[in-house]
Amino acid sequence: MFIFRKLIQITKVQSPCFLLSIPILLFLHSCIEISDDLTIHNDGTGTFKYVVNLSSSKVKINSILALDSLDGKKVPKISEIKQMIDEYKTKLENKEGIHRVKVESDFSNFILRFQCDFDDVQSLQKAIKEIVIEKDKQQEIKEINHTWLDWEENKLIRSVPTLTQQTTKRLKSEDLTRLKEGTYISVTRFDKPIEKCDNNSAKISPNKTACMIKTNTYSLVNNLSILENTIYLSTSKTPQ
Amino acid sequence: MKKKSFINNSITSLILFHVLLSSNLIYSQSPDELIPKDAVSVLGINNISLLKKIPLDDLIQYDFMDEIHAELFDGSTSNKTLKDSGIDFDQKLHVFYGKNRKFELAGFTFGIKNKKLLFSVFDDFDKKENWTNDVELYSSQFNHLLIKGNSAIVLRIDPTSERVSVITDSIWLARGYSQYDYYQEEYYEGEEDELNEEEIFEEEIVVPSDSVEVSDYDLLNKTYWELRDSITLELQFEYFKIIMNELFLSNIHLKSKDKNFEKQLLNNSDGIFYLDNSRNFSSTNNIWYFQTLFPDLVQDIKEIYTGNVILGQINLNDNQILLNFDANYSERLGSIYEALTDTRFDKKVFQYIPSNTLGFITYNINLNKGYKQAFDVIVPVLEKQNDPRVSGNLLMIELINEFVNTEAVFNTYKGSMFACFNGIKKVKTKKIEFFYDEETFEYSEKESEGEEEMPIFTFGFSTNKNEIPEKILKYFSKMTSRFHKENEYWVVEEALFNSIPIYIINQNGLFIFTNDEDLAKFHTKGYGSASLSGIQAKKAKKSKFMYGHFNWGLTIDKLPQDMLSKKQNDLINAMKGKTGVFELSSSKTTKEKTSFSLEYTFEGNYEHSGKYLLDLINTVYVMSKD
Repeated sequence: MFIFRKLIQITKVQSPCFLLSIPILLFLHSCIEISDDLTIHNDGTGTFKYVVNLSSSKVKINSILALDSLDGKKVPKISEIKQMIDEYKTKLENKEGIHRVKVESDFSNFILRFQCDFDDVQSLQKAIKEIVIEKDKQQEIKEINHTWLDWEENKLIRSVPTLTQQTTKRLKSEDLTRLKEGTYISVTRFDKPIEKCDNNSAKISPNKTACMIKTNTYSLVNNLSILENTIYLSTSKTPQ
Repeated sequence: MKKKSFINNSITSLILFHVLLSSNLIYSQSPDELIPKDAVSVLGINNISLLKKIPLDDLIQYDFMDEIHAELFDGSTSNKTLKDSGIDFDQKLHVFYGKNRKFELAGFTFGIKNKKLLFSVFDDFDKKENWTNDVELYSSQFNHLLIKGNSAIVLRIDPTSERVSVITDSIWLARGYSQYDYYQEEYYEGEEDELNEEEIFEEEIVVPSDSVEVSDYDLLNKTYWELRDSITLELQFEYFKIIMNELFLSNIHLKSKDKNFEKQLLNNSDGIFYLDNSRNFSSTNNIWYFQTLFPDLVQDIKEIYTGNVILGQINLNDNQILLNFDANYSERLGSIYEALTDTRFDKKVFQYIPSNTLGFITYNINLNKGYKQAFDVIVPVLEKQNDPRVSGNLLMIELINEFVNTEAVFNTYKGSMFACFNGIKKVKTKKIEFFYDEETFEYSEKESEGEEEMPIFTFGFSTNKNEIPEKILKYFSKMTSRFHKENEYWVVEEALFNSIPIYIINQNGLFIFTNDEDLAKFHTKGYGSASLSGIQAKKAKKSKFMYGHFNWGLTIDKLPQDMLSKKQNDLINAMKGKTGVFELSSSKTTKEKTSFSLEYTFEGNYEHSGKYLLDLINTVYVMSKD
């Protein structure tokens, strides 16, 4: 049971974050809320926020934390989890193009809030890839080369690596059913107004600067393209 | 002439018969006489024909077969039953376990009807040189099989880790290493489970060069853990040798050493149970530590525990397993238990047990009387000691007894209690929810009420002084806002798993903890007409010291396995799929013993009671192992 290791790993970024959250979902057998919030400024810099909310399963998590081991694996202590979070935070802070890394962990409600600024989306992806490679030294992860954020001046392409699909194939049907109770919200923000986006389930905010996709974790597991989106921005400089 | 010849022949036959009979008496050894004297607990199945129909493939699925099944059974057992295993079903089968300060042993004894068939099952055992002329020895990686005549014992012996540590550490330190050096050596890093069998077999074995003597090489190059393994093997053999010599040369075994066990063997019930608690007491490491400091005191306390043996009988009916057992005491220990259980049943507890409860237990003791009797028994033992440390502790005990109002203490906490499990209910929790501004999609959080499933338990203690816990609760309520009073009950917020409130009902001579909001809000005076009554209440009252009733089928399905430890889950899984009722009751305690009765009445479809007996054995095994 690597729930908290996974909890830390989800600070990686967006789609891979969801991938890494799946074991948590299965393990908890109940509700989870995940939110990713990506802001990209006109100059390509931006802020990435990721929040995992397990507060509606806190009884179960507390009961697990009271155990020494589960399914033959050691259950980490909260102090160990905090230490791991600090280690990942430090690693990310030292990556080129990444600044102001903040991690808030609320162990009363089991909410993890992650935030960092980046110089450009390439720096963000590179930093995450390096951390994943450092963590899984022994394993070759081909999918890590996947580009899940592609930013051009007036266009952003978001996608999900196939690795997620492979992981979900291993899930039992009862686990998949449990995922229906979870929610995943993905928000992308810009300085410029959004002209259109090609994902039909995406909703553009009335002020046109944000685009949101809200889904349940079950639908997401079954159809990864739900999160895929190409967002086109207006060429004018200020919001309408 | 013919007559004389007939007489001669008859005399010769009689002599021969006598000689054969004598030699048989001298050289035969029944399976009962193969149980080592160091066995502390023994489970005997007298009517093993019950097990004949059980397929070996089913048998090896049991947890209690884990230790040995890999060695004993493999593909050769497919489609076979115990009947095909060469075991003599006219003889008893005994499973034993024991632990002392030096070693731990486990095994079983049985009779053999057909040795050829036996080895078609025990095919992983290799023949070794006979132990004695008439004792054949077979060994596998960890287990030994010894056969004498038609009796056999399968035995496994492991030195205790404490014993191995003492010897290894002393050699390690004598070699000039520091006590902490071996912590640097990697051994169990938790990665071994990732190795597959091929990797293990492909591991290269390092052989020392010809120029170095093997023994020198070993002495100089063994790591701490290699040294430890070698010592473990040596000790295994040493202890094995001692036990085998006792059994087969000196005829020393449990039956010859313990009259209680010998008496148990004469019992003709379907099964027997033996547990020598006094030896469990004296073999614990803590006692060993005290023994070195206060040998006389430990000896006196051992005497108090002498005779503390649990003897039980198992009987099987068509749909019931009955386990009757007596906890026997020495007179002094018995006098403490007798005083401890001399109390009236507190009928008020029934008011807080709903009639539809899935399981409940009542426990009635009189701590005040028990304390006084224990004081009278233990103080004279301490008074005999000349050690100043013991005298100092004795003085402290006597002063506390003199100055503290023990009556008040034991009127507050009388010792009697009850507990019940009322299934699973949704309980209210607080959770954080995300919400988004519809204009900007900015994210915010808000606290809201949630619900999670929880097992509902109630625990209650009898008290004559509700005002004392009330004072304590009031104090806590001033210290923290988590304690607060609501009308007739107290609430401790986020008490369970940092999330769920606990409710405390402190009235009517009871101090009750529960996570059942319904009980706290609507039944502070009890469940009234919906409370436990009738036959179960009568039985609990009659049972005095202890009574338990569990609707096993319903209880087990409702237990939240996610919230339980691996051991607890193993126990549940061991009994899953069964329906029926467990009932534990006890008799009045005397100075000699307390009698208990455990009835397991099962319902529904079942193949035969032998299968149920194995299920029960398996459950007991899962409960008793670490």
